[in-house]
Amino acid sequence: MEKHPLIKIKDGKKYFYRFTLNQRIQHIILAWSVVTLVLTGMPLKFPDASWAPYLYALFGGIKYAPVIHKAFGSILLILFVYHVVYVIYLIYKYQIVPLKAAGKKNARNILLAFAKQPLVPNLKDAYDIKDLMKYLLFFTNRRPEGDKFTWKEKFDYWAPFWGMVVIGFSGLVMWNKELATMILPGQAINFSLIAHSDEALLAALFLFIWHWYNVHFSITVFPMGKVFITGYLPEELMVEEHYQHYTEVMKQAGLEHEILPPHGSHEVNQEGGHTL
Amino acid sequence: MRELKITSVTLPTFTLVLSLLMIFLTPDVYSADIGNCLLCHKYPGLSRVDEKGKLRLLYINEDIFNNSVHAKVKCEGCHLDIQKIPHDPAKKVDCLAECHIKEPSSEQKFSHKDIEKTVAMSVHSKYDKDGKEKKFSEDLPTCKECHDEPLYRPISFFKQVRAGISELSLSRCKSCHKKEDFIYKFYNHVTSRMHRTRNPLNIAESCSRCHDDLQIIKRHNLSAKAAFSYGETFHGKAARFMDERIPDCLDCHVKKGDASHLMLSKENPESAIHEKNKGKICASIDCHPSASPKLAKYGVHSEFSLDRSPAQYYFTVFFIILTGGTLLPLMGIILLDLIRKLFPNAMIRRRK
Repeated sequence: MEKHPLIKIKDGKKYFYRFTLNQRIQHIILAWSVVTLVLTGMPLKFPDASWAPYLYALFGGIKYAPVIHKAFGSILLILFVYHVVYVIYLIYKYQIVPLKAAGKKNARNILLAFAKQPLVPNLKDAYDIKDLMKYLLFFTNRRPEGDKFTWKEKFDYWAPFWGMVVIGFSGLVMWNKELATMILPGQAINFSLIAHSDEALLAALFLFIWHWYNVHFSITVFPMGKVFITGYLPEELMVEEHYQHYTEVMKQAGLEHEILPPHGSHEVNQEGGHTL
Repeated sequence: MRELKITSVTLPTFTLVLSLLMIFLTPDVYSADIGNCLLCHKYPGLSRVDEKGKLRLLYINEDIFNNSVHAKVKCEGCHLDIQKIPHDPAKKVDCLAECHIKEPSSEQKFSHKDIEKTVAMSVHSKYDKDGKEKKFSEDLPTCKECHDEPLYRPISFFKQVRAGISELSLSRCKSCHKKEDFIYKFYNHVTSRMHRTRNPLNIAESCSRCHDDLQIIKRHNLSAKAAFSYGETFHGKAARFMDERIPDCLDCHVKKGDASHLMLSKENPESAIHEKNKGKICASIDCHPSASPKLAKYGVHSEFSLDRSPAQYYFTVFFIILTGGTLLPLMGIILLDLIRKLFPNAMIRRRK
């Protein structure tokens, strides 16, 4: 196995390890199938649009595009199940098992372990949003000091998570309509169609506007963020978005003296730290 | 007139001219243009502006006509009012007229009149059960509201399918039936009945002329914009992408084995779409054979309408609010972020 140092120095620049190879592969499968699903789904949502027949024809038209759509939908659902199992397994192996070994395994501690996962929204996110608004509206020139995952990344994680539940379930109902209507009323197909297509439009716009802006198009990242391929985030972006986490990692690595001042701030204090 | 001397030069010339004439005149052998109507109507662009200011195209493409279902019918067979040439503006053709063709098995003059009786029993009849004329009976369709003469369709729907009979299939008839006249008389008719002459989109468009007309919907108290709401389902969208195998209006609204002329109201227990028969339509062998009758509760014609389907209306509104409520604030943040990055050091209030 390849060794992944938390901080890698290349050409005198620091890079911070964020995503394992397994996670990066999961993300690429996710991204690839979502794009294919959007391209094969949107012509059906907007069949009157001038581009619809051409885009659909690119995927083999009405004969093949629905097959491709279902194939990639299946890939995405399998990935979803894999991901949930993967996350639960990691928590079990690295948090529940040690609890057990320490004899502290009870319902409260297990719930706490889940609640303290880095991607679970918490009170700091609310304060960070408040501070970001202050920053964006020029009330301060200090950005909120983000933790390992900021509220933006939590949004990027939980929005597709909920989306996959809604779109996946409604897609399965419409795909297996004969089976589904053995249990559900026929109207379930109407509701599935609304949920599937409206939630998909929301997801597509969310990802292609908000997510892509944050990870690729924002001036500090443009033209392309490479962390989803390399797993490493450059120092300046780490400072901009994850300052709190950045200082922790730097201290852990014994690099306190090299900690950069917070992004956007020009009031470096005497100790060289970031505290107010 | 000079006498034509047959010499060694004139004979081959004569033969050549004759064979050329035979080649070029071959299509005319099948033509029904006994009245020589094509003398004028063969010219593309022959047209006039009628009393209502509408441009009428009067051109007949002989090749297409000779390969159409009505190829054996003389022009005067349908245009009964035309007695002399040049003629006055022709009346609209009445499809129920006895035309001048004989039905081959009975040798009687042919007519579409029987269809009228079937339509009279259907939901599209101008008269109700008691024989009283329905309100707004002028809205109800006659033959040409749904049917057009295939000849006048501007283009064929699929690139690979041309109007008329396939020469390839004709050659199969010819291997036994040497007399071409036979082929054109029967094969033409039989094949035109065996093929679907219209694709689902074309059928839906044809029904939409009345069933998407808001005034007609209101006058006749219909429950939905039928073709529009069909267009919102997967069936309708596939039809728009030219799927020929997707069910159209007729596949559900006409009982298997009956002709589309006998379309019945959903209140009629004999109707294919009556509450207790609907399930069988969805579960038909070519569609969803394993479906339970519950599948038929699917709202094929449900619309985004508070009156007609409130539950679906509010469900859709929820997603509209969710979409707007998620995207607008996030896009606001993007906009603010772009502005903020233009002035990275600016600040309204200084911290002490």
